[in-house]
Amino acid sequence: MEAFIQPGFWIFVLALAGIYGVFSLGLQIQYGVGGIMNFGHVGMMAVSGYTIAVLVIKYQWSFWWAALLGVVLAAFLGALLGLTTLRLSGDYFAIASIAFAEIVRYWILNSDDTTGGTQGTLAIPSPEGFASYTGQPDVILNWISERLYPIIGDEASRDLSMVLIVWPFFFLFIWISSRLQKTSWARVLRATREDDDVPRSLGKNVFRFRLQTLIIGSVFGGIAGVFWAVQFALLAPEDFLRIVTFYGWMILILAGSTRVKGLFVAAIFFGFLYGATRFLEFWPLSLLSSPERAYLRVFLIGLVIVLLMVKRPQGLFGKRQEMILE
Amino acid sequence: MENTNTIESAVLDVRNISVSFGGVKPVQDVSFSIKENSFTSVIGPNGAGKTSLFNLLSGMNKVSSGEIIFKGEAIQSIHAHKIAQKGLVRTFQGAKVIRRLTVAENLMMAVQGNPGDNLMGFLNPRARKSFETKAREEAMRRLDQVGLTKFADEYAGILSGGQRKLLDLSRALMADPKMLLLDEPFAGVNPTLVEKLLTVLAALRKEQSITFLLIEHDLETVMNISDRVIVMADGKIIADGLPNSIYENDLVIDAYLGSRRKDA
Repeated sequence: MEAFIQPGFWIFVLALAGIYGVFSLGLQIQYGVGGIMNFGHVGMMAVSGYTIAVLVIKYQWSFWWAALLGVVLAAFLGALLGLTTLRLSGDYFAIASIAFAEIVRYWILNSDDTTGGTQGTLAIPSPEGFASYTGQPDVILNWISERLYPIIGDEASRDLSMVLIVWPFFFLFIWISSRLQKTSWARVLRATREDDDVPRSLGKNVFRFRLQTLIIGSVFGGIAGVFWAVQFALLAPEDFLRIVTFYGWMILILAGSTRVKGLFVAAIFFGFLYGATRFLEFWPLSLLSSPERAYLRVFLIGLVIVLLMVKRPQGLFGKRQEMILE
Repeated sequence: MENTNTIESAVLDVRNISVSFGGVKPVQDVSFSIKENSFTSVIGPNGAGKTSLFNLLSGMNKVSSGEIIFKGEAIQSIHAHKIAQKGLVRTFQGAKVIRRLTVAENLMMAVQGNPGDNLMGFLNPRARKSFETKAREEAMRRLDQVGLTKFADEYAGILSGGQRKLLDLSRALMADPKMLLLDEPFAGVNPTLVEKLLTVLAALRKEQSITFLLIEHDLETVMNISDRVIVMADGKIIADGLPNSIYENDLVIDAYLGSRRKDA
């Protein structure tokens, strides 16, 4: 249990929370405002992460251009997903979106020459024989660490530098998203969440609003992918399993899907659940090995979602009245 | 028929429209023409094709054949939201309100040409805000008209059935319609409120020169306000004329209003 009093543990939790927080911002605007059930959000993160890895390692792109293109590609795929399947209603779109994310993952898994296949980005063939793509961001991360070292000593880790970069962006995105959700654009979007016919009969192009929302959410997913790629410094197909999408959903449900501002609290809670289970060493959990305990998080996260749905469907910050109106 | 010489001033001209879904043909070869600033009621029993007709006029469903001319322009194959933008606005049977928007927001979302509805408008907060202020003022004025002011900032989901009808009508008016298609605005509404709604409609017709086409089950309700009544049955128009002439039409009485006559 002493892990929980180590600053390093909490810094890791915060880094994770920031990345997943940005990730869930995409789901928040899609589902919380637009009512779009996207269960394939992880696909956007995979696309931008792998775009960076492939372009930097295989083609010697600058990290920054690769990151930009990665986010643009995520947005583009969001548009493609929308144009092909967004006319499906609710549940059917949800199924199609899972299929979409799986297509992305299977493509990565089976394109060994480009993506490194099952072995991940370490196996991407590189002309320099060195499969790392984080050289340029590492310069910045190191710069921050070096400045902090005289003040806080060994706690000045790479994770802490990530926290200091990711969290300001996270708050900036929350701010932008909450501003966007106060516009009349978002008001129409909220109407489409309940009913297609009313906004259509009032001259609103429902499909355009939905498509725009899907693209905006995909951009957040893509940016989360950039952060993820830097944080973990290597990518593998199993990083982008379906469960990752549902981690984002847990954060969203915990915060209350209609309230963007509470998202960071829920993200920290998720980061804690995700990082903490392996350190729960008391009986009877001590009977399990550390990696086995790590998997407890999947159970715990499921339990939290179920309990919330039963006891507090509006989440921590949502309005209960919104959930019960008929 | 009275509409021989009225094509010039027709705001809506429906020419031989039909629709079929598989073997079902809810609307078959229906034609009529609506004069500007007139008040027409469509009546008929359940399953006569009244709402199907509205779905075609408003573009929610597409015609299988025929033409719909609104203000001199063929609209039968354009998107529903574009038809609404042109000023042909409908309401729904059973009053659809957006429950998780406030009453005022329900109205404000209906305003046309809002720069804030466009994502680019996000970059122009000043234009957005001034439009928003105006929209809010107009919404409050409309709410005052129908006595819903005190609910302005409550979720529309808390409104009663009758209040929803009022909101639905006000919202359609916010969209600045040239012509309104009202689908059973009086169904399930108490007689006092029906009177009130009829007064509101009559006033609107006079003050804003809106053309009305309205669906109703009960001929008596719309007797006084209508210039003209179209009777539908089995997807076809079986009678069309002045309200009184419809009342005397044996075909209509026997087939569709027969039971009512016995009651009376």
